[in-house]
Amino acid sequence: MTRMSLTGTRLLVRRALRADRWFWLVWVLVLWSFLPATASAYRAIISDDAAGREVAVGLASNPTMRAILGPPYDLLQVGGFVMWRVGGFVATCAAIMAALGVLRATRAEEEAGRTELLRSGAIGRHASLAAALLTATGACLLLGLLIAGSMTGLGTPLTGSLAMGLAIAATGVVFAGVGAVAAQLTSSARTARGMAMGAVGAAYLLRALADGSSEGSGLRRLGWLSPVEWAPYVRPYAGERWWVLIVPLVVSAGLVALAITLESRRDFGAGLRATKPGPAGALAGLRSAGALAWRLDRGSVLWSVLGFGIFSLVIGTLSNVFDQVAEDRTLAERFRRMGGGAKLLSDAFYVAMLGILIVLIALVGLSLLDRLRREEDSGRAELVLSTATSRTALLRAYAVPALLVPVALVVVSAVLLAVPQAVRDGDPGALARLAGAGLVQSPGVLLIVALAVAVHGLAPRLRWLPWAVTAWSVVVNWIGGVLGFPQRLLDATPFGYLPRLPADAMSWTPVVVECLVAAVLLAAGWWGYARRDIT
Amino acid sequence: MRYVSAVIDIAGLVKIFGSTRALDGLDLTVEAGQVHGFLGPNGSGKSTTIRVLLGLLRPDSGRATLLGGDPWAEAATLHRRLAYVPGDVALWPNLTGGEIIDLIGRARGGLDTARRAELIERFDLDPTKKGRSYSKGNRQKVALVAALASDVDLLLLDEPTSGLDPLMERVFTEYVRAARERGKTVLLSSHILSEVETLCDHVSIIRAGKVVESGTLQDLRHLSRTQIVCELDSPPTALAQRAGVHDVTVDGHRVTLLADQTQIGAVVGELASHGIRTLTATPPTLEELFLQHYDGAR
Repeated sequence: MTRMSLTGTRLLVRRALRADRWFWLVWVLVLWSFLPATASAYRAIISDDAAGREVAVGLASNPTMRAILGPPYDLLQVGGFVMWRVGGFVATCAAIMAALGVLRATRAEEEAGRTELLRSGAIGRHASLAAALLTATGACLLLGLLIAGSMTGLGTPLTGSLAMGLAIAATGVVFAGVGAVAAQLTSSARTARGMAMGAVGAAYLLRALADGSSEGSGLRRLGWLSPVEWAPYVRPYAGERWWVLIVPLVVSAGLVALAITLESRRDFGAGLRATKPGPAGALAGLRSAGALAWRLDRGSVLWSVLGFGIFSLVIGTLSNVFDQVAEDRTLAERFRRMGGGAKLLSDAFYVAMLGILIVLIALVGLSLLDRLRREEDSGRAELVLSTATSRTALLRAYAVPALLVPVALVVVSAVLLAVPQAVRDGDPGALARLAGAGLVQSPGVLLIVALAVAVHGLAPRLRWLPWAVTAWSVVVNWIGGVLGFPQRLLDATPFGYLPRLPADAMSWTPVVVECLVAAVLLAAGWWGYARRDIT
Repeated sequence: MRYVSAVIDIAGLVKIFGSTRALDGLDLTVEAGQVHGFLGPNGSGKSTTIRVLLGLLRPDSGRATLLGGDPWAEAATLHRRLAYVPGDVALWPNLTGGEIIDLIGRARGGLDTARRAELIERFDLDPTKKGRSYSKGNRQKVALVAALASDVDLLLLDEPTSGLDPLMERVFTEYVRAARERGKTVLLSSHILSEVETLCDHVSIIRAGKVVESGTLQDLRHLSRTQIVCELDSPPTALAQRAGVHDVTVDGHRVTLLADQTQIGAVVGELASHGIRTLTATPPTLEELFLQHYDGAR
């Protein structure tokens, strides 16, 4: 790498700040807001008396909570509680933000052909990558400083606030490096995004496994391998271990060096491997919009089945922790009270895990349907519609997988989640019970996808709406209760009114109502799509 | 009234996008067997017209008939009988050119595999490359092969040669002529006048969403002015005042003028009385026809 290869970086940073300002601003502000919001709700959750302390001890020793949120260090202080309850979550989201941000400024631009125009000017080979990394690092630091500043302002210790802000920022920077490497590996921005998100998912899974396993278990040490676990390991507000921050710094420097080396070795516009020639003709089956949609999506569908499957199976093994806990009767009793009224500890665990998975599955459904929009934007839909393909057939080609794949994912995830327990207890009925629990939640996903179909057919400009609904569902299902929002607001997701089996009793009304609403939305979307202009 | 033989019959078509009238009362008739040039600069409404014909856009008012049917309501069935080549072809990045040709051809109702092989050969297209790695010209070739390999009644071509090199343009010309010989109808939208002049027997010129001129190339030439350049013994002085004569320049013995087609006889008679030494009369080129319509509007 020479100085020349960085020529124009400053120019590109300015350009990135202008082109992507909303992307960074929205991400940073939304992520930041979780921490002061949680801090303000602290006293409502953990009161300053013996009862509060008991709740804190209970939370700290609950393996489900540990698996979802990370290791708790000091829940009797506002700062320590905030770090545990939302700190790890925000660090994981910062990782997603940084990786997506780097990819959108590098590979996505390159694929769209815009970088070519720039590179023909006085812009060096690595300038675009360097600019993307600088912008992402800047955004992460801004997030960290906002966190440190606001938490100090709310009266938590300065050192702890600073440690939390920096730890979260450092997590983001590591994944900016992950995004930079992914951008070099493949010529498709979509595949690169998939790789980066896969890395975030794997890191989260690794730390869930480490934190959820019982104390003293060798699995606990796996946490060090997960970049999203380094932020809690800094232990903000609980005897800060500043040296831990060296780990993300070294790792991100290594990733950046790797990305630059890879970028020097590849051709512009290409991935690491040259695109191989493909078949000169199509297989007999590729003859309709439906076959095309499956051909385009089968890769991501198989990867998501694999990803959700592994995640569920691994998380499911944590259920054995409950056997050990249940032997301590008083502890078990306290867990039961916290598990949302669940009679059994494991039920509360499954409810929480299904809640986490289902919102991610909704994102899969949305992105499957979103391909129809991208087909239209790119003009490829026009080519298909110029053949004997009706609008109904085109809509169906993308809507059917967007509705069915998530349901299949829910069932697969639920069954695999139950496998470890079923094997241990010799109880195959557990598989069916959890599959049922998953199916009962799936109308929420259908509702979201149906909303996206309605929006696409009737008001394509509102295409952010289903994404916003899903984002809100992610927030509620992952960290909902703690933010101190009124229950009405927490219920206001497509999943809020559905019974949470096996903890709740079954009630058919919300299930049927949501399915009917989804059907109406689908019909409305189809009606609109058959009538509107395709431009 | 519906022309039985008209493959495309559009009357009073209006399409409004927000505050712009993309089509403003457009009339267009393309009879069976015509190779019909659809001329106009960028943004004049050519693609909008074709998109209405494809049933992608719903007209705000007016009537459009395609192959005897309603292009909006019967889109999918009518599309079995036509093939479309967009001006800016977008391909699926992960599908090869060959796969895309097959997909489009089959989705239309089938394609002639022998003709497909011949076209790929003639257009010098590598069908094993992925969509993302084709250049603009090669993307265009993929769409052209997919369209020309199908046995359809109507070809809707929207600036189909943009990005093709001159060699490939010649191949394209050859195939369009062959299609005409087989009795197919072609609507060729273009702003390349030489292309229209070599290929088309009928021409419609569109301006600001309206067809301002339509007919055979021959008809159109009659509507406009012939350039006359001559050398005279004694150049006349009052020529510029004559009706039907325009843009007179006198340079010594040399006189240049434009004469209306109807006045040519009279003008030449007058010139003869001044002693013609040399005379050339040039019928208007399509380019002049075209510019006349566009310059006149400004």
